Amino acid sequence: MNKPLRFLIVLLPIIIFSFFAKVLLVEEDEKFLKFNAKNLPSFELNDLDGVAVKSQSLDGIKLVNVWASWCITCLVEHPFLTKLSDENIQIVGLNYKDSSDKANAWLQKNGNPYIFSIYDPRGDLAFDLGVTGAPESFLLIDNQVIAHIQGEMTQRKWETIFYPLINKARKTK
Amino acid sequence: MIGEISHFLSLSAVVIFCLILIFNFFFIFDKTHSNQLSLSLRMFNQACWLVFISFGMYVYLSINDDFSIAYIASHSNSQLPIFYKISSIWSAHEGSMFLWIVFLTVWSILFINSLHRNHPLKRITLLMLSLIILGFLLFLLLTSNPFERILPFGAIEGADINPVLQDPALAIHPPMLYLGYVGFVISFSFITAYLFHGNFELEWEKDIKNWSLVAWIFLTIGITLGSWWAYYELGWGGYWFWDPVENVALMPWLAATAFMHSLYASSKSNVLKTWTMFLGILIFALSLFGAFIVRSGIIDSVHSFANDPQRGLYLLIFSGLITLLALGIFAYRVPSLNVSRFVISGSKESYLSMNNILMITSIFSIFLGVTYPLIIEAVNGEKVSIGPPYYNTIFAPLILIASIFIMASLDSIWQRSKPFKSIVSSIIVPMILSLIFTYVVWHVTAVFSILSYIGIFSGSLILFSYLYRILSNFFYKKFINIGSAVAHIGFGLLFIAISFNSILSYEKNLNLAPGETILIDESIEEFSFDDIKVLKASNHDVISVEVSLLQDGNNIFLNPQKRKYATRGQITTESSIHASILKDTYLTIGDQLENGSWTFALKINYFIKWIWFSASLMVMGMLITIFKKKAI
Repeated sequence: MNKPLRFLIVLLPIIIFSFFAKVLLVEEDEKFLKFNAKNLPSFELNDLDGVAVKSQSLDGIKLVNVWASWCITCLVEHPFLTKLSDENIQIVGLNYKDSSDKANAWLQKNGNPYIFSIYDPRGDLAFDLGVTGAPESFLLIDNQVIAHIQGEMTQRKWETIFYPLINKARKTK
Repeated sequence: MIGEISHFLSLSAVVIFCLILIFNFFFIFDKTHSNQLSLSLRMFNQACWLVFISFGMYVYLSINDDFSIAYIASHSNSQLPIFYKISSIWSAHEGSMFLWIVFLTVWSILFINSLHRNHPLKRITLLMLSLIILGFLLFLLLTSNPFERILPFGAIEGADINPVLQDPALAIHPPMLYLGYVGFVISFSFITAYLFHGNFELEWEKDIKNWSLVAWIFLTIGITLGSWWAYYELGWGGYWFWDPVENVALMPWLAATAFMHSLYASSKSNVLKTWTMFLGILIFALSLFGAFIVRSGIIDSVHSFANDPQRGLYLLIFSGLITLLALGIFAYRVPSLNVSRFVISGSKESYLSMNNILMITSIFSIFLGVTYPLIIEAVNGEKVSIGPPYYNTIFAPLILIASIFIMASLDSIWQRSKPFKSIVSSIIVPMILSLIFTYVVWHVTAVFSILSYIGIFSGSLILFSYLYRILSNFFYKKFINIGSAVAHIGFGLLFIAISFNSILSYEKNLNLAPGETILIDESIEEFSFDDIKVLKASNHDVISVEVSLLQDGNNIFLNPQKRKYATRGQITTESSIHASILKDTYLTIGDQLENGSWTFALKINYFIKWIWFSASLMVMGMLITIFKKKAI
């Protein structure tokens, strides 16, 4: 075995491990707290039952959750969303790049924590919102997008990012 | 009180392991060491026993519902059967880490005491093992202490084990998997000790051979059980999801498989020794990496434990140091190893080394699949997801090439090149049979998917080569290694089963009211929703549905359920499966609709049983290899 290869055998793990250390050390919460509020893009779509939804219909405090029947992590976060909806948090689903048949079947099978789900098969609204995949969640307060997380909604993300913002908004009202 | 004693015993073990390391630190380069060795050995044995007793007491606490201990209070419940009270210990992070350490000590104590009294590598192996156990014990006690009390008043009732984990397969899946994962600590420490020691005349292959084979068997059983559990318990109808946690179990498995082949080759000839050592170190390094991925919460997954950067950082630093230590010694010693560099092309070891390269390639591909989303996110903040299409596309050609090498290696010999002409005859028959078989499958099913057909073709290449070999053994008394043949036939069958499963299976969503009967397709002529009942069980309510099917002229009764667990309020779906040799009829119930009817998901999964069967063939092949006298 020649020298560069021997060197590489030691160097490669060092690179890999330091990469992971960096990822770990970038505090997750920090990334989300820097979020700049923006207006909800205007849209006209239907919900999964075929009722028209406009941007104006999303007023007050709403949690928008991007989901799809093809998304496995959505299934993982589902019980947590159900818990939130039991605690009277209004969750609006954004059904992303899915077919309405599959989506409705998924909701029937797993339960429906959403007050309604916007049907966005081509991902138009999702694109304007800056969605990159499913699941993702946004916090809307009076038509302003004030928080955005990618990936599973967890207890920790809920408590550190969303809940304080909601509390603040409720108090100012 | 017992909780404190148990905690204290673990702490004492930490102290003793520290003492062993400190005490030996001064003599580390000293090769005349008989006194230190016998003392260290006694201390090592005592420390291991302290860990066992501590764990035994913890099990006792869990059985006797000591809910003043925070971990037990949040994962067990007085209503649980004893079996699940015990398995609740490994249903979450802290307890499963404890179990991991117990297994680590079990393997270590058995291996150390099995070595000859004056084995020259004994002391350094012992030190390496102590270092690893110590690192994990400190991790347990510092960052995830399972002994923590709820003070001043304990909980009156426990919060219950997660219902999807209340299942026999899942109760034994983690222990099996962990036994496999940590079993490779032996090859890891022993190879490191060998390289550190520097006397390359020593034999080391045969001391770790059987240990590694046993660890491989546990790992295989653990992965298969996990897959089986996911199939019937999660109700998603699949058996493998390329989830990060599955991937981090598959990587050590692939490395271990490569290691086994390489170990076999290096005991037959002087080549591939470097490969073997590297792989032996790599397996445990990948196990450590897996522990880091799962327990740091760095990747969202079905399995991930609570997300805690502090734990992640500790594990990362610890596993990084251990891995670097071993790889550093390896890189330092490699030039002085006296191994022949040249592998004769066309010899058996040449094919084996080609497959080593393929297995390393697949490990790397999985590694990339697991880490790529993280890399992209770190670079430009985007989230990408890598799913089954990536893995399927990468694996299909790798398996095709591997199967060709497996086939070629069957008729080749050690250390000598065999002219291509002489192996052609034994290649051509399986090749033609596989082509015919693949064509027939295509003709009969009339479905085409390039990846699945590659799978079927590769699988049948392996299968037919070995069957052909067995036949020629029978008629011409050609040599055959039975263990290897059984394991490889299992391997071939696995690909055929997976590919058949992916082209034949289908799914139907149904909507029926109680008492209704409908026609589904030619194979299922009647689907009747006979009855629905609400029952009460010890810790959950059950909605139980009875469905009868007329499938292929047979009457089948299915009983899917929905359970609502009292303490956690969680609802689980219990699928009902009717399994025949070729296909599984897999039924789950959904929700009740407003008009009183219920939704059902009916899946027809082909060849699922064959997947479990092929895994058990592989395990069986390995067992034969262990118990056969003449092996290696």
